[in-house]
Amino acid sequence: MSEHLVCCHECDELVKIENPHREGRFNCPVCGSLIMKHRAGMIEKMFPLSIAALILFAVTNYFPFLSFHVAGNISQANFFTSVLYLFEEHEWLLGTAILMTTLVVPFIRIMLFLLLFGPLYFGHLPRYSIVFLKVLDHSTPWGMLDVFLVGVFVSLVKLVKMGTIIPGTSLWAFMMLVFILAAMQVIYNPHQIWEMISRKQKDAKMVTV
Amino acid sequence: MRAIEKNIALCHVCHELVHLPSERENRYALCPRCGEEVHMRIPKSMQHTWALVLASIIFYVPANLLPMMHVHTFAGTQSDTIMSGVLYFLETGSYLIAAVIFIASIVVPITKLLILIYLLISVRNNKPVHQKKRKKLYVLTEIIGKWSMVDVYVVAIMIALVHFGGLSQIEAGEGANFFLLVVIVTMVAAMRFDPRLIWDLPEKEKQRRENKEKG
Repeated sequence: MSEHLVCCHECDELVKIENPHREGRFNCPVCGSLIMKHRAGMIEKMFPLSIAALILFAVTNYFPFLSFHVAGNISQANFFTSVLYLFEEHEWLLGTAILMTTLVVPFIRIMLFLLLFGPLYFGHLPRYSIVFLKVLDHSTPWGMLDVFLVGVFVSLVKLVKMGTIIPGTSLWAFMMLVFILAAMQVIYNPHQIWEMISRKQKDAKMVTV
Repeated sequence: MRAIEKNIALCHVCHELVHLPSERENRYALCPRCGEEVHMRIPKSMQHTWALVLASIIFYVPANLLPMMHVHTFAGTQSDTIMSGVLYFLETGSYLIAAVIFIASIVVPITKLLILIYLLISVRNNKPVHQKKRKKLYVLTEIIGKWSMVDVYVVAIMIALVHFGGLSQIEAGEGANFFLLVVIVTMVAAMRFDPRLIWDLPEKEKQRRENKEKG
């Protein structure tokens, strides 16, 4: 296959790409948005990155995030503490939103990356890859760890005047995690996996015929 | 050549090109690769976006008037709204943080709503002008969408850290709930808007261009 027809998702222009397996990015000639990218070694990079992300996610949630000392009183917080206190105060909406965007969605995304790229790394296309890819696609805007990092910095400045703040192990792990997740988002290219699925579907059809 | 003229639609999940049946008005097909419903355009995109934009404007009023959090100390209770938080930072000299909060919780939501309203009106007027710029504005609303959550997270972290029983304690205010709703509803509104509507030309314009090519 040396020619490839792509449709721009922003302006609906049909674009013919001469050699789609060339390294690089293809932009729409009409509106200029990115319509296709291809990069070798996507799977080989994504697999170790998702393992690293899972380890860092576990570290982030196990150790205390920040400790706060005021006049002999110490309070420690990790990711789940704020959700817990919000639920105690019956702030269900806020609690659920924070639970979903900072814990559940990022965890599901990391696990799906692992389940998807683990088998791919060893040369198998996982059976439920269509479902994995769909969930990954729909959950992209709802994982908000990067926004949470900015929130942490702002509240640090707010609290510094009230007492002593000691950053915990998990804060460093969390900062690494945000950078790794950003790198994964750049490298991740579902189009390449969709093409693999297409090829597999075609092979299956030929066998049954 | 545009895909709509060839009766081809793009599957929004797996980016497969799907041929749609041409006879029905509200037509859709199932994507042969991933099984999602594929429509030519997001169905009722304009109505849904308008409704969500209006809802978030309504939520935006109490989000700014009601307090984001209550700070209980032995000296009494103090309540902070978004604007009073910004003013507090300005008075104490942390200009960078004041700017971050001001941009994230006041500039970003208002810009997003104004851009969406402008896009909706311009699509309704249906004139093929500034299409590239309008597309850039739309991409901007998608990117900045989630960054207004900063203020909600700040409240959550403060609640988790300042928790010393009777000595000092922070509670979430009613404004935080409304602000959260503003953020989520505007994000959904931006998702429901179909940017391809910007590029769909009215029939008159299509004919004019065809004549131009001929003559």
